[in-house]
Amino acid sequence: MGYAELQVTSNFSFLDGASHPEELVEQAAMLGYAAIAITDRNSFAGIVRAHETAKAKKIRFIPACRLDFQDGPSLLAYPSTKNTYSRLSALITKGNLRTEKGKCLLYKSDAFELSGSAIKFLMVPPLSLDLNFDFEPDFETTLREYRNALGKGLYLAACRRYSGDDAKWLFRLNALSSDYEVPMVATNDIHYHVPQRRELQDALTCIREKCTIQEAGFRLYPNAERYMKTIDEMNRLFRHFPAVIERIDEIVDVCSFSLGELQYNYPEELTTDGRNPQEELTVLVWKGAKEIFGNISEKTAATIRHELDFIDKMNYASYFLTVYDIVSFARKNSILCQGRGSAANSTICFCLGITSVDPTKFDLLFERFISSARNEPPDIDVDFEHERREEVIQYIYQKYGRDRAAIVATVTQERQKGAVRDIGKVMGLSADTINCLSSSIWEFTDEWFEGKKLAEQGLNIDDPLLKKVLQLTGQLMGFPRQLGQHTGGFVITQGKLSDCCPILNARMADRTCIEWNKDDIDALGFLKIDVLALGMLTCIRKAFDLATLHYGLELTLANIPQDDHAVYEMICHADTIGVFQIESRAQQSMLPRLKPRTFYDLVIEVAIVRPGPIQGNMVHPYLKRRNGEEPIEYPSKELEEILGKTLGVPLFQEQAMKIAIVAAGFTPSEADELRRSMATFKAKGQVKQFEDKLIYGMMKRGYDREYACRVFKQLEGFGSYGFPESHAASFALLVYVSSWLKWYYPDVFACALLNSLPMGFYQPAQIVIDAQNHGVEVRPVDINFSLWDNCLENQSGKFRAIRLGFRQVKGLREEDMKILVQSRMLPYSGIHELLNAGISKSTLERIADADAFRSIGLDRRQALWEIAACQDHYTGIFRGQAVPEIGMEKIVLPEMPLSEHVVNDYASSSLSLKAHPVSFVREKLELLRVVPTRMLRSTEDGAWIKVAGLVLVRQRPGTAGGVCFITIEDEAGVANLVVFANLFDTFRKEILRSRLLMAEGRLQREGEVIHVIVNRCHDLSGMLRNLTETKKEDLPLLTLSRADETISPVYAPNIKRSVAGNVADDNLFPKGRNFR
Amino acid sequence: MAKRFVSIWFRHLKTDWVSLRKPMFSEAPFVLTLADHGRVVISSTNAFAQKLGIFVGMALADAKAIVPELKNISDKPEPSGKLLENIARWCIRFSPVACIDPPEGIVLDATGCPHLWGGEENYIAAIRNRFSRLGYDTRIAIASTHAVAWAVAHFEKEKMIVPCGKEADALKHLQPAALRLSIDKLELLFKLGIRDIGRLMQIPHSTLRRRFGEELTKRLRLALGKDEEFLEPVELARTWQERLPALDPIVTAKGIEIALRTLLDQLCRRLSAEEKGIRMAIFSCYRVDGKLQQLKLNTNSPTVHVTHLFKLFEPNIETIEPALGIELFMLEAVVVENLYPRQKKIWITRSSIEDERFSEFLDRIASRIGQNQITRFLPTQRYWPERTFRPAVTLDEPIIEKWPLNRPRPVHLLHKPERIDVTAPIPDYPPMLFRHRGKLHRIEKADGPERIEPEWWLEQGEHRDYYMVEDEEGCRYWLFRLGHYVTCSSPQWFIHGFFA
Repeated sequence: MGYAELQVTSNFSFLDGASHPEELVEQAAMLGYAAIAITDRNSFAGIVRAHETAKAKKIRFIPACRLDFQDGPSLLAYPSTKNTYSRLSALITKGNLRTEKGKCLLYKSDAFELSGSAIKFLMVPPLSLDLNFDFEPDFETTLREYRNALGKGLYLAACRRYSGDDAKWLFRLNALSSDYEVPMVATNDIHYHVPQRRELQDALTCIREKCTIQEAGFRLYPNAERYMKTIDEMNRLFRHFPAVIERIDEIVDVCSFSLGELQYNYPEELTTDGRNPQEELTVLVWKGAKEIFGNISEKTAATIRHELDFIDKMNYASYFLTVYDIVSFARKNSILCQGRGSAANSTICFCLGITSVDPTKFDLLFERFISSARNEPPDIDVDFEHERREEVIQYIYQKYGRDRAAIVATVTQERQKGAVRDIGKVMGLSADTINCLSSSIWEFTDEWFEGKKLAEQGLNIDDPLLKKVLQLTGQLMGFPRQLGQHTGGFVITQGKLSDCCPILNARMADRTCIEWNKDDIDALGFLKIDVLALGMLTCIRKAFDLATLHYGLELTLANIPQDDHAVYEMICHADTIGVFQIESRAQQSMLPRLKPRTFYDLVIEVAIVRPGPIQGNMVHPYLKRRNGEEPIEYPSKELEEILGKTLGVPLFQEQAMKIAIVAAGFTPSEADELRRSMATFKAKGQVKQFEDKLIYGMMKRGYDREYACRVFKQLEGFGSYGFPESHAASFALLVYVSSWLKWYYPDVFACALLNSLPMGFYQPAQIVIDAQNHGVEVRPVDINFSLWDNCLENQSGKFRAIRLGFRQVKGLREEDMKILVQSRMLPYSGIHELLNAGISKSTLERIADADAFRSIGLDRRQALWEIAACQDHYTGIFRGQAVPEIGMEKIVLPEMPLSEHVVNDYASSSLSLKAHPVSFVREKLELLRVVPTRMLRSTEDGAWIKVAGLVLVRQRPGTAGGVCFITIEDEAGVANLVVFANLFDTFRKEILRSRLLMAEGRLQREGEVIHVIVNRCHDLSGMLRNLTETKKEDLPLLTLSRADETISPVYAPNIKRSVAGNVADDNLFPKGRNFR
Repeated sequence: MAKRFVSIWFRHLKTDWVSLRKPMFSEAPFVLTLADHGRVVISSTNAFAQKLGIFVGMALADAKAIVPELKNISDKPEPSGKLLENIARWCIRFSPVACIDPPEGIVLDATGCPHLWGGEENYIAAIRNRFSRLGYDTRIAIASTHAVAWAVAHFEKEKMIVPCGKEADALKHLQPAALRLSIDKLELLFKLGIRDIGRLMQIPHSTLRRRFGEELTKRLRLALGKDEEFLEPVELARTWQERLPALDPIVTAKGIEIALRTLLDQLCRRLSAEEKGIRMAIFSCYRVDGKLQQLKLNTNSPTVHVTHLFKLFEPNIETIEPALGIELFMLEAVVVENLYPRQKKIWITRSSIEDERFSEFLDRIASRIGQNQITRFLPTQRYWPERTFRPAVTLDEPIIEKWPLNRPRPVHLLHKPERIDVTAPIPDYPPMLFRHRGKLHRIEKADGPERIEPEWWLEQGEHRDYYMVEDEEGCRYWLFRLGHYVTCSSPQWFIHGFFA
């Protein structure tokens, strides 16, 4: 007799099932089951994966779920048709939307509404009998109730649990079954595919119950019987009730619905004048083309026609219209947006205004975008301003309704760190050991599991408990832990979305998403649109607005003058602080070498400084060939066509893929699969198989082995860290636009950038310094002039002056400052006026900390003194008058020295316009023979040199083999330090702790690129400490304060946190940002 | 006479304390840590760590980045009060009035004490030396007010003795933090450029009050001795001990009995006044020849019931050998617990563990057969039969878990399962007959199997299939087969218990 398993809990019932849906289906297929259903708790999240596996393993799969009710025993539900599936999905949606994310509130009455809909229900009876060896009486009552409501669709789930009273239990159930005419069906209540997973299942139970395994007790199952048994064993277990097994077929036969039947339909309401989508698209494209090109060249026209035909053939017109609609909404509301990724290959996307890169100029391949060979829906990603993307998202919800549009889920997986923490806690390891374990993890390696790394941490790897922890951690990794929301992937349908998949509330307000992730969506052929956020677009839009306001310019992404020589000149000198993409240290050192002169050079620049090409060792060959130091040669004629644009060095994803196709004989879909398999580390075994295929394929075609290996290595990097050419082109456009703004309107650019922070690599201080270096006057925050945002004031020199806004000051709230600005009819003349305007005392103190009372003649100290007394101010008829100091002589506060002002500026706004902190210690630095960074340019290559400055950035990229790159800043500029791995260990403390770092080393010059190869490091942070001290004679014993290491009272640390006293150990000066 | 106060500041109180117990930490940088919002933060450092730039409040990860060999131990979140209290008691040797001064200090009212040590200089040196010999790193100052002594101990470097009337001078150059002000006040003062107390003292009090509130002026007044500070001294721990010297040496059992009863009377009266009861007591008899005879008793619950306690001692009195006579009797309650008066019930409905007559009964049995012969079992939440129960810690430990009733378990579980020979059909039927200790049992009825897996986190092994069986005599047994039935090997069967 055959067997099909109907009660299966996969790990998508989070912290309950202990096997992946894929594993369960594979095991069922191996055991020769006729079919398998997955019944996760109130969820369809795992069924697409199971469906896909079942398709591959050729086993019937029944999408199903377990309905857990608030007020009754659970039901397993098996839809028989597409319609009933939709109703079930709608039911779960209803339960999901009733409550917050991760929960589902269902009542049995909800399920009763589905009666008569040909859904088969299996009722799950209680697992234990009462003292009279019978079911609790309410079970009988509920059974009657269920039976009356659901009629013939209801069955009882019978299973063998080996709990000692199985025979009695089955006997009682059988009696009920015949009394109420509810037939019994055999299940095995599967929680894992093999019995060995019991340990993991126990551990999951503990995680769920938040207890350790030692105290879990009866919350665990007593035995390991919830695994998939052979058909013979199942038949033997139910030998007394053979009908129970036979009846499985009854359900399996009826429930013939397959997920493959789900049909995706595009939303339709996007056409006008009664045109069908294809006609509408054609009209829009030609209209757009005329606007953009004016005269459409024959070549362009042919491309457009070709693309239109293709879209017609594949029936993608509605999709393009949907994206067009979203983009037009953004345009209408002047939200900047730009298509990224492969969509830039399409002329149609350009004509519709979805992308801004003219594909006719680039000879980009439409086929990379969509191809019939891959038979995959197109994928258009659109970036929007990060501050205004929510508007776009809400527009989509509003336009299509929440029942038709939702965000795609991401399945948050157990990562190694989380897994080892969870398992460690369950196994009762101490917090220290868990920390030790998780800190020993750098990346997922087998070495870690073997414990080599752990032995170094002083853990005993032969300890059986620790071994168990490692073993379970390995199993737990990759388990889904919860459903999150995708960064912006939308699914929009014509019919109700809940017909296809349950919808749930996301954690963020006003967001709903579906239970499936993008792979699931792909597998079922659903379309998704990525609505992404990009900070630089916000910055550019703000810059455009400012340019309109102050210079009367109407700028758009498209009308910025192209190919401006001066802009490229600036880029070549690596003067790119704040510019999109090319502002990082690595990019800055590449720019003077690559010397971009055309737009395409920028495309290459963006693509080349990526982990992919760096790991693939492609950067130096390209530079050499470009500078003519190495001959440009191609391994073969066919590769010349592919690699011609990039001088024979593959730099873009599609080049690497094309090599695989042309040189190694991959089919296009194989090449794409290869790229995907490398992007996700989960498919570990597959990569090897591709590696052999690629290398042998290439060698067979006459390439030498070394070249083949290199191509593969590169492909490996490209998988996740490379750019496709079109994507690089889209980004390069933003690079150019931001560079253009920076060159012609540094005031506008800096102001917009400051208003869009946090983004990019640099702190406000560096952006301000950079603007000042470009001749822009920057004015301090002031109660009488500042707005919340930074803004531009009158002309001062070549440019307009930037007035810093209150947003630069730490701890101020936008609402408070709005009140301050609104009540500023006349300039404020005293602190009490601000108080009367409704600004609280603590806010006033913060404003005083920022030294923003200068326009009424108070420095920060005086202002603070005044504010301290302001709790008694007049109300009623004397309102608005200042309270005089009664009968007291004026107290003279000590004058604050400039250096201390600077320190306080940094404390409150992270920048100072008064001076650079390092300038105050310059004299002392000179005694140490430290040179200012401006001297580096005139120092010769190889000279021994000492530099010192505030640490801006420390970077230890994974690709650099432990080398640490540090950028330091003094009053004159920045210096780039390189610390090799062995020295890093020696000077670890100095490098990590210093605010003011002095480095000794040799200068290395390569064209304009100057590095200091560090030999010694010194922590000079102590010097900064003196900035806050006043003259010695005033405070004779201040040196005995916290700085003195022999005393150092316990109370100091608490004070340190807030008082601007101890500069060196404090977070006053930005610690320097660390990057990997 | 002018008051004098000594402030003792333990610079590394907790770490010093740990080093005393774990000497391997005393020579290396180490820190105590606390978890704080998902980060591990350093709560105390020792001197070595501090020298390397590790300070309290730093994240452990940052500290380890600086000093990779840094050792760390989890701190207990409770404050150091208990430890300070013990130290303060110990300090009573220096002054009768010793108070704790959390978080890391002790204050002594030293008025009239220093001359016993030959002056203040010697006095504080003596204290410091005693502490440093113990392993505590201290800073100690003496002044006429507690506040000044504290300030000087924490912030002054050399002059640790402040003469009478020189309080203001001593404070003048110290930073405002020495006044123990709140953080926000200190912050404000710092920003205003007021970096020493001298400058603060120049500002009129009314101005100070207007700008900084009461706190600051109050602190100043305390420091300058204008207001008096209230101190709460610690007391020495009480001992529960009674002595009875005998005028003539006692040699008779009757005499001993009378002495014991008298002592019990006195001790129990004292104890019940404090709502405490005896859990363990020792009765010592000092003989004329210098030998010591002792009787010891334990009770199951705290009691001050004299007759009961006497009865517990009584059977053992004859074991005391008075020899030439006993000259001193002493009774000490070694373990004492709080004794809350139970509410008296008019009708006792059922006898329970709470009934004190029951616990007195058990005490009496225990005094005959030994305390460790009586065990009470409580259920545990475990499946593995050997671990389904545990001995109760105290007699009246309440049952939190109920005994599970849905899984029948034998009343007598064998300590170790015993091998039996069976005849059993395959694959998982109960046996038809089994032989145990030479006797053949023919099985009439059976139920099962109940499959129980071993607790994998403790041991590896095969699961057991338990059967409840009844033989032809109507006796019921709990049998199990170890592991799966496999055709090629004969499975092992065991008997594990007997049902009622």
